[in-house]
Amino acid sequence: MDVPWKKPGAKLPVLEGDKNMSKQTINFMLNSQKVSAQVESDSRLVDFLHEMGLTGTKLGCGEGDCGACTVIIDGQTANSCLVLAPQIDGKEVTTIEGLGSYEQLHPLQEAFIEEGAVQCGFCTPGMLLSAKALLDENSNPKREEIIRSISGNLCRCTGYTKIANAIEKVVRSKS
Amino acid sequence: MQELNVVGKSVRRKDALDKVLGKSQYSGDIKLPGMLHVKVLRSPVAHALLKNIDCRAAESLPGVHAVLTAKDIPESNTHGIIIKDEPVLVMDKIRKIGDPLVVVAAETEEIALRALSLIEVEFEELPAVFDPEEAMKPEAPKVHDGGNIQSIRKIRKGDIEAAFAHADIVVETSYRTQMQEHAYIEPEAGVAYLDGDVVVLRVSTQNPHFDCKEVARNLALPLNKVRIVQAPTGGGFGGKLDISVQIYIALLAIRAKRPVRLVYTREESMLASTKRHPYVIKYKTAADKNGKLMAIDVIVIGDTGAYASYGPGTLTRSAVHATGPYEVPNVRVDAYTVYTNNPTAGACRGFGVPQLAFAHEQQMDMVAQRAGISPIQVRLLNALRPNSQTGTGQVLETGVGFVETIEVAQAKALEVLGRIC
Repeated sequence: MDVPWKKPGAKLPVLEGDKNMSKQTINFMLNSQKVSAQVESDSRLVDFLHEMGLTGTKLGCGEGDCGACTVIIDGQTANSCLVLAPQIDGKEVTTIEGLGSYEQLHPLQEAFIEEGAVQCGFCTPGMLLSAKALLDENSNPKREEIIRSISGNLCRCTGYTKIANAIEKVVRSKS
Repeated sequence: MQELNVVGKSVRRKDALDKVLGKSQYSGDIKLPGMLHVKVLRSPVAHALLKNIDCRAAESLPGVHAVLTAKDIPESNTHGIIIKDEPVLVMDKIRKIGDPLVVVAAETEEIALRALSLIEVEFEELPAVFDPEEAMKPEAPKVHDGGNIQSIRKIRKGDIEAAFAHADIVVETSYRTQMQEHAYIEPEAGVAYLDGDVVVLRVSTQNPHFDCKEVARNLALPLNKVRIVQAPTGGGFGGKLDISVQIYIALLAIRAKRPVRLVYTREESMLASTKRHPYVIKYKTAADKNGKLMAIDVIVIGDTGAYASYGPGTLTRSAVHATGPYEVPNVRVDAYTVYTNNPTAGACRGFGVPQLAFAHEQQMDMVAQRAGISPIQVRLLNALRPNSQTGTGQVLETGVGFVETIEVAQAKALEVLGRIC
């Protein structure tokens, strides 16, 4: 039967026992905490985060289109479905779990709630991290720059207007 | 007036706090002890007779806990919101690309995928039909035994022939609208586990009560032995009203006696889920020389794909809304729900109305052009108002805001554009 992985030349999914690749140790900063972990060479960052119990990073497409899995690596946003876990060795990673807490929300989180910028919530963590990366770099962005900063994050229910309004609210409150 | 606590206040969404913190547990985020991973083998062809499935190599693969085909469904092996015409797993006939054939539960997703690749499927391909108008012809390949016209909804009001005979303006146009994927940002997902003799599902769904009945019916369980919990759901737009992972995971949790998890990839979500119905609309409008509507004569053909899903309901809505927000004294509508070997079409935002709006609004513009009046004038002239009668004969007493809406839009256009369209 013609399933994608049975096409000529296609590789079968690799099983644990077949792996030539060994696990490797990585050291990195995760949400301001030092972490040392053993990772599979072919493990995606998004899956590795879920294995660590950090499920706030969402997987929407697995191919870098939707931005639901956005995290911040050394100040830059990245789709964690397109990053291999070993690639974060020596780097600083921020996920949604590092943005705020029940006790102390980040101003962006507060604004998203206030402005009604959260509906199904699946794009929300990625949106918030894209917005944070923008504000960390530029504390007084124009509306167009805000819109550009979330252009890699797809939303299907809330709509972009309220999300941009929420980010703009944080900018205005700071300036 | 008395000050109320909630009414009239801007309230915070109950779930917003968990969502901005990334703490919401969508079904794909749930981890249970000993949880197995599920994958589905799907048909690569659109129309075929299923001859044999050989699962022996997959079953003997270490780490595989269950490999199930149609023969393992305890009862029914059918689901569907209006008509039970869709198999949980195909027994004898494949009707679309992506039709499910085998489900596998294994220790890891990789092992489950490897198991799928070891399954040998024999089938005999049949001629397929992908165009709904072709499918309506008597010689077309039959998707279901009862024929490809699943149902017809008719509306008849007044005297169509007389109206067209006396009309000054007749506008006749064919329209086609496209299939559309809902593309909710969270692909379908669910986990299932046993709580005593109750099978519990936490799933991404819009329809937990329907899910409960369909799971119970297919598994031959009483309703009180199936518990469906709607997990936070990352969008649906009508696309999560139908069954997706529910029956597979309930069945596998019981058979493997372990918690199971199935999360569709985006590719599988697009392959397996319902779509917006693509339409063929043949729309004929009669009006007098001033642009006053006299009659409409409309044929609507909705391509519901391989299975009915919400097709008959969607086409009923389309028939009822064929007149648009206008008063039309003479009406004839025939709305067909037609099977093809295309992806199944179901509920999708607007439920058959946006397709018709695309057609009737263009008809109105053309009537205005022919009558030499503006697009706004033709709409105000024919607008439904309080005490107007709809195409189905209902007299609208209150809540008819169409004229006011146009007036507000007109004022806004004047403000923004400096002119009225």
